[in-house]
Amino acid sequence: MKKRRKLQNTVLCSFSLLAVLLILIISFVVSDQYIHKEMENCRKTAFAYTKSAAELIDGDTIAHYLETGEKDDYYYEILDFLNSFRLNTDIQYYYVFVPFEDDLVYIWDADALKPDEKEEDVDACELGYHEEYMEGGKEATYAIYKQDPPEEIELANDEKYGFIASAYSPVFDSNGEPVAVVGVDMYMPDLQANMREFLVVVMVAIVLVVLVAVLLIFFFVKKRIVTPINKIRDASRSMVENLENEEAIKVTVDTGNEIEELFDSFKQMYGDVKDYISKLSAVTAEKERIGAELDVAAHIQASMLPCIFPAFPKRPEIDIYATMNPAKEVGGDFYDFFMVDETHLAIVMADVSGKGVPAALFMVIGKTLIKDHTTPGRDLGQVFTEVNDLLCEANSEEMFITAFEGVLDLETGEFNFVNAGHEMPFIYKANGGFEPYKIRAGFVLAGMEGMKYRAGSMMLEPGDKIFQYTDGVTEATNINNELYGMDRLGEILNKVKLGTPHEILPAIKKDIDEFVGEAPQFDDITMLCLEYKAKMEREENAQ
Amino acid sequence: MTIEKTLNGSELNIAIVGRLDTTTAPQLEATLKESFDGITKLTLDFAALEYLSSAGLRVLLAAQKTMNKQGEMIIKNVNETINEIFEVTGFIDILTIE
Repeated sequence: MKKRRKLQNTVLCSFSLLAVLLILIISFVVSDQYIHKEMENCRKTAFAYTKSAAELIDGDTIAHYLETGEKDDYYYEILDFLNSFRLNTDIQYYYVFVPFEDDLVYIWDADALKPDEKEEDVDACELGYHEEYMEGGKEATYAIYKQDPPEEIELANDEKYGFIASAYSPVFDSNGEPVAVVGVDMYMPDLQANMREFLVVVMVAIVLVVLVAVLLIFFFVKKRIVTPINKIRDASRSMVENLENEEAIKVTVDTGNEIEELFDSFKQMYGDVKDYISKLSAVTAEKERIGAELDVAAHIQASMLPCIFPAFPKRPEIDIYATMNPAKEVGGDFYDFFMVDETHLAIVMADVSGKGVPAALFMVIGKTLIKDHTTPGRDLGQVFTEVNDLLCEANSEEMFITAFEGVLDLETGEFNFVNAGHEMPFIYKANGGFEPYKIRAGFVLAGMEGMKYRAGSMMLEPGDKIFQYTDGVTEATNINNELYGMDRLGEILNKVKLGTPHEILPAIKKDIDEFVGEAPQFDDITMLCLEYKAKMEREENAQ
Repeated sequence: MTIEKTLNGSELNIAIVGRLDTTTAPQLEATLKESFDGITKLTLDFAALEYLSSAGLRVLLAAQKTMNKQGEMIIKNVNETINEIFEVTGFIDILTIE
């Protein structure tokens, strides 16, 4: 199972990450800004020193000092000015020099010692002292050796001098020509220390603010989102575990936002699902009950058809066998056979239009009526005529029955029959084969009141057989929508014509099954076969 | 199965294409039931009818009974196979086949 992370932890992690990121960005921006600002201050201050000295110094005196090396009152006046600045500011070196092609020559260099300094710390240069340029010093000097020079500070990290910021401004003579340069070198250790101090304060403040903000947001999210969602999760979990546990959805979620909406929908769904399931259970139970009752009905129906074979063990004159395979639980087909009197056997084969319970109910009525009306010596045409009228009275659903009834006189072999729209039977003549026997059919039973039916008659000899069936046989359909048909039925009948009825019917069923294959069975398949084996001896002869 | 219905005043023509069996008969029954009102002549065209089962016969019987009360019902273009079914079931006696 995939490891699940708790929402709360995810939220906490993301907020912490966000906080760290935020702090990093803020501190970077702040320190960058701070350095910028400090640098700018530093630059302005440095140039203020150089420019005020450059303006103060009379440029026309420079040539004289350079030539003679003599220090007069004016010289000391300027040196005092420089010294007083050196003592009272961050200035480390404050000097005036004249740049030459090969080196530079000092004019003034502040030499007053601050209280904690020694002579060698300052190491001031005397008037007329030549010094080599530092690396890049010449280019930097000549870059500002003109009117309106750029005011860019030079930063150097020199091992001897430390981290130093330098600024240079030109001194002009009365003709406006640059004649010397005022330089200021300022140590910058304070700047870094200041920045560190400043940053610590700022960072602490930022961290505090961000932490408080993150915590606030976290608790807000927890209260408004995480907790309600957890409630919904618990509710749905308990619903999955036990639908009857209504305690779970009694919690309230009143965030007033989409989560509350979600919970309302969930509650609605819970109710719907519960209703649905209880309805479904009821329907399923009902369905099971109906199924069970249909099973019982199918049993009752099956038991209404004579199904004990051999049916007449004490009648060696006849052998009879019949089967019915319903397509649904209860079918509309039926067969019947019974002794009308001591010497007459009746067989019935019928098919109620439609299927299922309505057909089965109608079948029961039809079967009972036919058996009831078939009384000794009665004309079968009259039997069907009466049964038809009675069925029409009880037929509100426009159902009808195709039926065939025959009565065999066991003594003479005379076979009387009547056909109400049913399939024609196959007759097997001894020493011949099965042939369909064409009978002028009457109208189906229960179709229309007042129909008249006429009986027909034929003679059967010992060894003859009758095969009767319903359209479930001839209209059995395979997956190619082909019908089994009369021709196939005739063929298989003649293949097994010498068998007993008990052998013939299973052979035909097997043949149908092979033909149909995987296709579903649409209609009941019902068959009956009667063999007239021998003439019954007349009773008066027996006596 | 498809049902092609044409109404011409109080004359209704219905042509049935395909199989009329247990699964399709209810469809024809429903179509007829909603169309019977005011019809005095119902003509069923079976030219394209491939197969007719007992469930189909039941619908025809019901239709015939209804039309007996309000007019006439005629079945036309009945092919040999279908005609045989009408003969075997005795329906030929109660239907008007042209």
